Amino acid sequence: MLSRLNPRSWPITVKVPLAVAVLMILVALLLSERVLAGLTETQARHLRDLAQSYLDGLSSAVGPSILREDTWEVFDAIERAQELNKSLRPLETIVTNADGQVIAASNPRRHPIGSPLGNRQQALSSPDQSFSFEAGADTASAVRKLSYPGRTVGLIHAVFDTRHLAAERRNVILALITTNGALTLLLAAAGWILVARMMRPVRVLTGHLGLARDTSAMPIASNIVARQRGEFGRLFRAYNALVHSMEEHDALVKKLAEEERLGSLGRLASALAHEINNPLGGLFNALATLKSHGHLAYVRTNAIGLLDRGLLGIRDVVRTTLAVYRTERIARDFAATDINDLQLLITPEARRKSVTIVVANGIHGTIGLSSTPVRQAILNLLLNAVAASPDGAEVVLSAEIRDGALSIMVADRGPGLPEFAAEILCGSLPAAPWRDGGGLGLWTTRRVITELGGHIDVERPPSGGTVLHLILPVKRAEELPHVA
Amino acid sequence: MGGSQEFDRRSLLGGAGALLFAGASSAKDLGLGPSIHFGLTPVFLTNDLELLGRLEGYLERSAGFPVTLVTRRTYQEITALLTSRQLDAAWICGYPFVAHREELRLVAVPLWRGKPLYQSYIIVDQDRKAENFTDLRGDIHAFSDPDSNSGFLVTRTLMAEQGLRPENFFSRFFFTYGHRNVIRAVASGLAGSGSVDGYVYDVVAGIEPNLTKGTRILRRSELLGFPPIAAPRSPIDESRLSALTRALLTISTDPDGRAVLDMLRLDGFMAEDPTLFDTIAAKAALVGQAG
Repeated sequence: MLSRLNPRSWPITVKVPLAVAVLMILVALLLSERVLAGLTETQARHLRDLAQSYLDGLSSAVGPSILREDTWEVFDAIERAQELNKSLRPLETIVTNADGQVIAASNPRRHPIGSPLGNRQQALSSPDQSFSFEAGADTASAVRKLSYPGRTVGLIHAVFDTRHLAAERRNVILALITTNGALTLLLAAAGWILVARMMRPVRVLTGHLGLARDTSAMPIASNIVARQRGEFGRLFRAYNALVHSMEEHDALVKKLAEEERLGSLGRLASALAHEINNPLGGLFNALATLKSHGHLAYVRTNAIGLLDRGLLGIRDVVRTTLAVYRTERIARDFAATDINDLQLLITPEARRKSVTIVVANGIHGTIGLSSTPVRQAILNLLLNAVAASPDGAEVVLSAEIRDGALSIMVADRGPGLPEFAAEILCGSLPAAPWRDGGGLGLWTTRRVITELGGHIDVERPPSGGTVLHLILPVKRAEELPHVA
Repeated sequence: MGGSQEFDRRSLLGGAGALLFAGASSAKDLGLGPSIHFGLTPVFLTNDLELLGRLEGYLERSAGFPVTLVTRRTYQEITALLTSRQLDAAWICGYPFVAHREELRLVAVPLWRGKPLYQSYIIVDQDRKAENFTDLRGDIHAFSDPDSNSGFLVTRTLMAEQGLRPENFFSRFFFTYGHRNVIRAVASGLAGSGSVDGYVYDVVAGIEPNLTKGTRILRRSELLGFPPIAAPRSPIDESRLSALTRALLTISTDPDGRAVLDMLRLDGFMAEDPTLFDTIAAKAALVGQAG
């Protein structure tokens, strides 16, 4: 909610029209101020000129009458002047003598003859002529001192109706407000439309990028790209090129993973061949002994026994291999037997390296995890551990269910996992599997684990070697009771 | 009198022109020529140029002389022109007539509502509570003219009868030099009350009801002699005066004359005896005694 109030988080389609509106309002205020100031000045000047000419005319008309304090003549002059100067809208005119007493006023009921309007001091100290007009006010006033050489004889006070000027001013203000308001709204709307139009390609791009983050990157439709010219056209083409290269990259990664799988199978096959090959020499020897000394009963018995054991061993190896790989084609859940299979699979390679595999299988039944990728990952870890182990060393594989996750531990006594390898296994998933010195197997493992939503912790115990903890969360929780 | 000297000089200068131009309009410019100089006081409805034109036209046609209408601001100026024999005749007020009775003769008296009589009114604001003249104590009062009967003398006499003087009774008073102006002064509130010619007030009430609307008549005087047309006791030119007198007395028989009378709301002119103005003379005497 608060972030919504923060203008920085507002969309640009809001910001730009708002900025336009604010700027327009500022410009409108400035312009209005200038217009109104000009209007006020014009009105004041115009009114002052008219008032002066009014007072000039009245002064010359009432001058001698003031000296005589001829009330009627002064009154008549005022009435005539007000009649003649209707355009000036005189509201009230008062003529006083030098003592500030009214000689005659246009409204005698309000200012009766002889009533005081100020005093002699004020009359004498007032400037020869003064004029006051306030913009927007209903009246303006002017005062004229009537002096005959060396002597002040009276004052003329005049009040003018300026409501029409105030109305004119209000009309101007109204016109300014409506014009500027309409203009501001228009420009803000235009700004909004313009920005919305300009931002349309950005929205397209944002939508595609969001899609890429959530699922998979999709290229922008070619008709949209074709419609877009300029920078956004180039941007769209660049984005599509990026998506294309990502697709190629993904395909390559898949191919690499497959190749890696085949590679590890190759190593196993080689170990298997070795496993078969070892007894083959003995078997051929037994066959040769049978051929040459088969007539001898004990020799024959021995040779047949040898052949029998050798073939049984080969049969076991072949059976195991078949048993392990036959099921790969069918998607099934990981089971406790998979650990035994893995032990069987790694045993030939371990034996070749004179490494002992110690297995602690703490799981029972099936677990809600796809069997093939889990086996692939564990097999790779075991192969690496065996490869890293010195002759005669021990590799420990343990499996258990802990905190709703399959927890696999692979410990070896090797020289310790190199830093780059640990980085591949535990750090952020690198874009490319290549790295000097190999690591394809590790990368594939990491990829498999990431896909399963799991992670690996690397531990380097002080006693040496490497302990890898593979944690794979079990998604199908209902399976867990069976596991326990 | 500067004004009259100017008048004469202009007339002399115009004399040469008169020889070149036949007809009334050019002859009229001759100050001392055969033109009738007829003075008008502000008793009359002023500022009506159409009326003046028509009156002049009628008098010229009817009297057979060019006519020059002479107007001045105050009664005093016209009276002075008349008594100094610079006018053949003038429409003056009863008060100056009785004041200068020795120097003037009565030519004709207008008939208003069939009689050569009128009243003086004291008018106040329409909403004013005052009921009688003494309620006006402390007022600002508008008089018409110090030489006017209805616009000054009647009210002044009323005060003199009670031993009052304007400067003590009223807080302030002023002269408007025109009966219509008195109405304006009272209607506008400039004055609290005013002394006005009843004839003028009634005529204005008919013509400009908006002006009199804000006022009401507080007191009506007794009937007095209507402002007359007077001439110097010894006329400047007897034939011109008699022609003018005839034109005035027969005005109601002439269509143009009747048009003038309609505008003046008068019925005609009548030869009257100067005793008509004895009541005014009595008032003047009373005021004179009061000082």
